[in-house]
Amino acid sequence: MTLKECYAAMGGDYDEAMGRLRSEKLVQKFVLKFLSDQSYDLLCASMEAKNYEDAFRAAHTIKGVCQNLSFTTLGKSSSALSEALRGGYTPEADGLAEQVGREYQQTVAAIRAFQEAAGE
Amino acid sequence: MKDKTTRFLTGSLIGVVVLCVCVFTFFSVRMSFQSSYTINEVGTLYMSRMSQQTSNHFESIISLQLDQLRSLADTIPSAEVHQDQELQEDLILQAKARDFTYLGFCRADGRVDMIFGGQVTVTDPQPFMESLMSDRQKVAIGVNEQGEKVMLLGMPSPFPTGGEHDCVALVAGLPVSYISDNLALEENSEQAYSYIIRKDGTYVIRSADAYRDSYFERVRVMYQDVNGLTPDEYIQALSQAMDQGANYSNEFTMEGERYHLFCTYLPYSEWYLITFMPYGVMDGTIKSFTQEWTSLTMISAVIILAALLLVFFKYFKLTRAQLREVEKARQTAEASRREAVHAQKEAEHANQAKSEFLSNMSHDIRTPMNAIVGMTAIATANLDDVQQVQNCLRKITLSSKHLLGLINDVLDMSKIESGKMTLNMDQVSLREVMDGIVSICQPQIRAKRQQFDVFIHDISTENVLCDSVRLNQVLLNLLSNAIKFTPEGGEIHIALYEEDSPKGDDHVRIHIQVKDTGIGMSEEFQEHIFDSFSREDSQRVHRTEGTGLGMAITKFIVVDAMGGTIDVDSHQGTGTEFLVTLDLEKAEVTEEDMILPNWNMLVVDDDRQLCESTVSALNSIGINADWALDGESALGMVSRRHEQANAYHIILLDWKLPGMDGIATARRIREELEEDVPILLISAYDWGEIEHEAKEAGINGFISKPLFKSTLFNSLRKFADIPEEEKKPVELQIRDLTGRRILLAEDNELNWEVASELLGEEGLKLEWAENGQICVEMFQKSPVGYYDAILMDVRMPVMGGYEATRLIRALEREDSALPIIAMTADAFAEDVKRSMDCGMNAHVAKPIDVREVTRILDKFVK
Repeated sequence: MTLKECYAAMGGDYDEAMGRLRSEKLVQKFVLKFLSDQSYDLLCASMEAKNYEDAFRAAHTIKGVCQNLSFTTLGKSSSALSEALRGGYTPEADGLAEQVGREYQQTVAAIRAFQEAAGE
Repeated sequence: MKDKTTRFLTGSLIGVVVLCVCVFTFFSVRMSFQSSYTINEVGTLYMSRMSQQTSNHFESIISLQLDQLRSLADTIPSAEVHQDQELQEDLILQAKARDFTYLGFCRADGRVDMIFGGQVTVTDPQPFMESLMSDRQKVAIGVNEQGEKVMLLGMPSPFPTGGEHDCVALVAGLPVSYISDNLALEENSEQAYSYIIRKDGTYVIRSADAYRDSYFERVRVMYQDVNGLTPDEYIQALSQAMDQGANYSNEFTMEGERYHLFCTYLPYSEWYLITFMPYGVMDGTIKSFTQEWTSLTMISAVIILAALLLVFFKYFKLTRAQLREVEKARQTAEASRREAVHAQKEAEHANQAKSEFLSNMSHDIRTPMNAIVGMTAIATANLDDVQQVQNCLRKITLSSKHLLGLINDVLDMSKIESGKMTLNMDQVSLREVMDGIVSICQPQIRAKRQQFDVFIHDISTENVLCDSVRLNQVLLNLLSNAIKFTPEGGEIHIALYEEDSPKGDDHVRIHIQVKDTGIGMSEEFQEHIFDSFSREDSQRVHRTEGTGLGMAITKFIVVDAMGGTIDVDSHQGTGTEFLVTLDLEKAEVTEEDMILPNWNMLVVDDDRQLCESTVSALNSIGINADWALDGESALGMVSRRHEQANAYHIILLDWKLPGMDGIATARRIREELEEDVPILLISAYDWGEIEHEAKEAGINGFISKPLFKSTLFNSLRKFADIPEEEKKPVELQIRDLTGRRILLAEDNELNWEVASELLGEEGLKLEWAENGQICVEMFQKSPVGYYDAILMDVRMPVMGGYEATRLIRALEREDSALPIIAMTADAFAEDVKRSMDCGMNAHVAKPIDVREVTRILDKFVK
């Protein structure tokens, strides 16, 4: 599985990421790094504890990371979630949080698959 | 109400004053009347007392003398004494001892035989004798041989005297002065004086000034008025009183002075004492008393009036002030009542508007939604029919676009209504705005085959400060309405001109006029054109699409946000004209020197104003220009100049000209002149379709309207061998930022690594702060000037970017003003504004774009 295929699997924009980061090596480095990013755990914990302020910031961070790495699909849903939480809790947040969860798993799964294929 | 009170107060004041004057006048008159009455009373009393006293005095004097006489008489023996010489001498001795100056015997026939003194004749013997005969004592006046008056006292004492007649009485005489001296008749004549008169008015004793024989005669001559009686009437009344033996009192005027008189009977005689007293004596005292009283009265009247007036005016002022306050309170109450009513109406209106908004919204949204749902269903049912699906998709696209426009408008409206719409003021080139508008509208105009013209004149300031997005929105709205409501073949005109702004030299007033020959609007509709969801509901506009929010938004942007005005002038069937007026601040840019060689040019356009404006713009960049209104006259001017060997260097031709159009004119010029003079075509249209024809006709190039000074300069300078400004690639302009130290505040490790990797490649040294607090601490610990800039994420745990920036700006360090650049995924205008507000220099959106970041760093890093 190539990096490009990995992007396609998760719903990301490989060309855009390449355009910004300029080398495949860099993209790969950051994509793999995404696995160790704690933001999603923070999001889940905060949603659980109904701490919507932290949840908002976590969603916002995920959105920022996704934009940096051009993870378009996850970027969109996390953006929507952060908007839903910007002014405190709104009823849409729960549904959006689930969607973010699904897409996060999808993204992580794609990256893991790529990691294995790359033999690292 | 105010008048009524004033009237009442004035009325009562006048009333009180009049009452006061009346009462005091009455008192004065009454007093003076009373005083004259009192004078009279007092006078009468005093005179009667005085007269009584004088009368008593007279009586006592006379009775004293009579007693003397009786004692004398008693010494006479009843024998005949007449011849008794001794007795006579004894009598004379005794008489002298008793101060008598005469002594004699009175005979029955009235003759008096004086035995001492001289012969005396009784002046009025009859009553004297009658009394004596009837054995009554009596006094009388006689005259001696010297003609002097002598007072005679008669004492009846019948004794024989010898001779023919018996003596009936002893008579003694005294000089009259004795009586007058004793009675003090003339004493102190300044005050009072007296006469003694007989019944017939003749004087018995008179004062020196009364030289006449009778008092009555004196009365007739001297007295002017006796208390309303004529002198004769007075005499009559006096005589009557004397007859009855009564006292008489009266007043009279003599020689201008008033006198009081009192007449009383004197006992032992036929005489009457009449006493006079001049009024002045008593009157003087009483008058001065009266005067004092009167003046006191007047002074008290004045004092009371003054006090009253003072009280009145104080009260008046007080009342006026109270009235004013009451009036003010009433007005305030009225104003607040009106406000309340107005507010209620507004609230009701807003409520109604909201309901209408909702119903309109649901209708407006449902219509395109229905189309989308319906078309989707049709497309789904006809998946095999490519043409049908394409048709459906086209319609769905149209409806979606419409729906999107509607939603955008609604969002704008909600922003407006919640007061969240803010302007992003930035430097705007009016030329670019107009160019942009024209190019956006051209396709629509061409599709409807409408005549379109752009007109610019008197533009002195091309660059102004304005929100270009909103200005574009306004212009697009007006223009798209004009296009929408103007039938095919109609005319649409947009004009822009400037004038001095009343706001001052650093502002300029721009007028934007959008005019069409469309269907126009009814008068009623014009009143509601700026309301939300207004669309003229008639057959003519039934098919026209729109959200009905455009004009409301336009009005808000122009009037409320930009502080300008928007006017509409429209007539049904004739067309509509919108005029937008804005006062905009001039942008601080030094316009580059736009000077071209001293060419001669010709401008040909059928619009005279455009010609003049263009010529003046050309003059300002150093070109001499003529103008012509049509192709034929232009041709004439060109050939004339050519013959004079003073040919035009460049010719500008409008495409649309009456008669011979621009292309035809260009062809004729090329045919007639061999010279290769550059000919440029000016047009508001896209020249793509005429380019080929124009090139063939010998036209060298195009200039698109609007003709700003810079448009003309940029189009013409290629003919002047001035090299065009090289547009260097952006990267080349950026300085080498290698070695600059940047502090990056970013809570996410991955984001930090990306940024550090990308910016590190540009040669920048990055240091990482995991949140705002750490960022502030790191900056605080660093030596002054260590960091060249800070890139600040806005959303961070512990401390966010805004607060961290505020803290850094507040530090007392020389470098606390270093560039701080916000980095955030929130790219809303409000976020940008907020980051500026808390002291950041610029804002870059995530994800990080290296070129953008380096450009901004280059701008701010010293």
